Amino acid sequence: MPKTARPKTAVLAFQLAGCEYQPPAGDQTWTGQLLAARPGAPPASAGALRPRCVASRPRQLCLSARRQQPQQQQSAQETDADTFDVLQDGTDHARYPPLERLPASVAGYPSPLPERALKSAKLAALHARLSLPSKIPLQTLARALVDGSADENPQFNNSNLAFVGHTLITYHVAEWLMCHYPRLPMSIVFSAVQAYAGDKALHQVARSWGVETAAAPGGEVDPGLLQFSLDKPTTTVLKFGYKRTEAAYLEKFKWRRGISSRVVFDDDFGGVVKSAEPEEEQEDDDLEEAEEGLSPSYTSYGTDKTRQIAEKVHANFARATIGAVYAHCGREAAKAFINAHIMSRTLDLSNLFAFKHPTRELALLCAREDFDHPVARLLSETGRMSRTPVFVVGIYSGTDKLGEGAGPSLDLARFKAAMNSLKAWYLYSPGGNVRVPSDMLVEDAKPWEPAHIDIGEIISR
Amino acid sequence: MEARLLRRPAATCCHRLLASSTTPAASLLPPVTLQFPSTGARHKSTTNRTKRALNIAPHASFLNKPSATDRIIFNPPSSAASVFHTPFKFLPKTDPRRRANLTSLFASSASIQFNSPSSSASDAAPAPGTTEDTLPPKIGGRVGRTHHMTKEDVLEMRRLRETDPVANSVNRLAAKFGCSHLFVLMCCQAPREHKEKHVAAGELVKSRWGPRRRAAREDRKRRLEMLFRGEL
Repeated sequence: MPKTARPKTAVLAFQLAGCEYQPPAGDQTWTGQLLAARPGAPPASAGALRPRCVASRPRQLCLSARRQQPQQQQSAQETDADTFDVLQDGTDHARYPPLERLPASVAGYPSPLPERALKSAKLAALHARLSLPSKIPLQTLARALVDGSADENPQFNNSNLAFVGHTLITYHVAEWLMCHYPRLPMSIVFSAVQAYAGDKALHQVARSWGVETAAAPGGEVDPGLLQFSLDKPTTTVLKFGYKRTEAAYLEKFKWRRGISSRVVFDDDFGGVVKSAEPEEEQEDDDLEEAEEGLSPSYTSYGTDKTRQIAEKVHANFARATIGAVYAHCGREAAKAFINAHIMSRTLDLSNLFAFKHPTRELALLCAREDFDHPVARLLSETGRMSRTPVFVVGIYSGTDKLGEGAGPSLDLARFKAAMNSLKAWYLYSPGGNVRVPSDMLVEDAKPWEPAHIDIGEIISR
Repeated sequence: MEARLLRRPAATCCHRLLASSTTPAASLLPPVTLQFPSTGARHKSTTNRTKRALNIAPHASFLNKPSATDRIIFNPPSSAASVFHTPFKFLPKTDPRRRANLTSLFASSASIQFNSPSSSASDAAPAPGTTEDTLPPKIGGRVGRTHHMTKEDVLEMRRLRETDPVANSVNRLAAKFGCSHLFVLMCCQAPREHKEKHVAAGELVKSRWGPRRRAAREDRKRRLEMLFRGEL
């Protein structure tokens, strides 16, 4: 019996801690943030904004005191203008005035205050660039830009939104793959989901949105910058999956991880769910080495490790954005956003395949489907006696050609033809306009026609 | 590269001249004057000679050779078929494309029933009139399984292999019993001494390989792996 680290049903409850629905009060939004700070609004709304903390709830679930900061701050701004210089670092502020005049208190916070989101040009530009609906407030977009390593407080970082976003993306990608390529083997499905929804792909998506990173996180940075810390990567769990009891031995003894067990235990990409603690120390060591210039892989772009962290953070920002779209605009808007930004990417599924014994696998397939035994036939050839011959071999089952391949020898051409035949089997698609189950959630949807379900894989991996 | 592009019209001209000339001496000349030497050496002693040797005339299909009849030139040749085009046989029973292709379905079923009534007629849709005889030649040896070996055969095979593994080698047993060598390997175990001797002989041969032969064999292995990963 595997130890369940994160029970699936309870995750949403605690991951969304602090995001529970608040009844509308004044300008309060879904996440309890200020929707828009009206310039002339009286500060009397402070009472309405005060979090409704039930005494029995744990303290973490209450809204933080940082939420009331805007009111206190405004008074501070009016009273003493001397505390504006944030950094006491010896800079000549008369000659190099700070771009934004901030109260001294902001330096005490790990991430910029929510109300500063309304004044950030970068954030407004990003909001407009992504054509986000006006229902999504700038504060939520600002929160999506704060990684867990920058601000540990889950009420102010993007871990909750990223978790929702990740779940939505993998759901839509997986259902699309299942309906459009019903015969894909599970290992290929895992890699395809990773290719669409993995860190690398979403990192590219986030980069294409034109997000810049802050040099270091802090309360004084522009809220339109992606904030994360390389020194202490976040340990927040953003994926489903069980921690295997034998996880420590998998790498050590090269234990086999079957595809079926990956479906049950591992995360959405078929990867092992690891505990973060031992890795963290390693990363720290690497970082220290990199700072001292000892690591040979250190460049001005950082080390492999830092790049990996940045990649993950960018991906989480993209996920959090989709989580924000879902939270504020609902299911359909989130689906449209995912279709526009993630499913629109091109992935050549035929490149994901790798075979071990293609001819044997094809023979098994033909035996299972009651086709005639596959036969290799020489379609054409050139330069048999030369240094560079080319043979074109076709694989036939009965009188039907299943596939063909060209190669420099009869055997290689035969293998290639068998691989092409197998790919043609696995990459069967019922067509481009197949409906997916989530299409049924729309009102007035036509009755559901069952999707094609294949009987299963040819060989177990 | 640029030089070759420049010379192409020249080669065309040359070819036209040769084709139009009526003197018997000219027609006896080879059709393409710039011949690549048949030795296949890619390097000469000097750069100039190498360049001249590598300067191959363009393929005949590149030259717009005047001809009496119209003909189709496949240049560049047709590309490999896309794996996203599912063969008719691989379409599931419920697929609308199968129903849309009813004519070829009936045509093929008639021809197949005529040839081999046992085969599943509904799965095939080749061109009408295609038979096993009109298909291209088979490659490889025996295909398919015959399941003709009995338990006594296997026991006999094992006994022979046990008693004299040198005389009854795997290939000889396979030929004798009419099965594949893989089947022999699955059934029989040679005595330990014979196996060790065999391995030692193999190692001796390998130790005599020079660096080139070794590298070539490693490359071949790597190429096969690349092929299986779809990189070739």
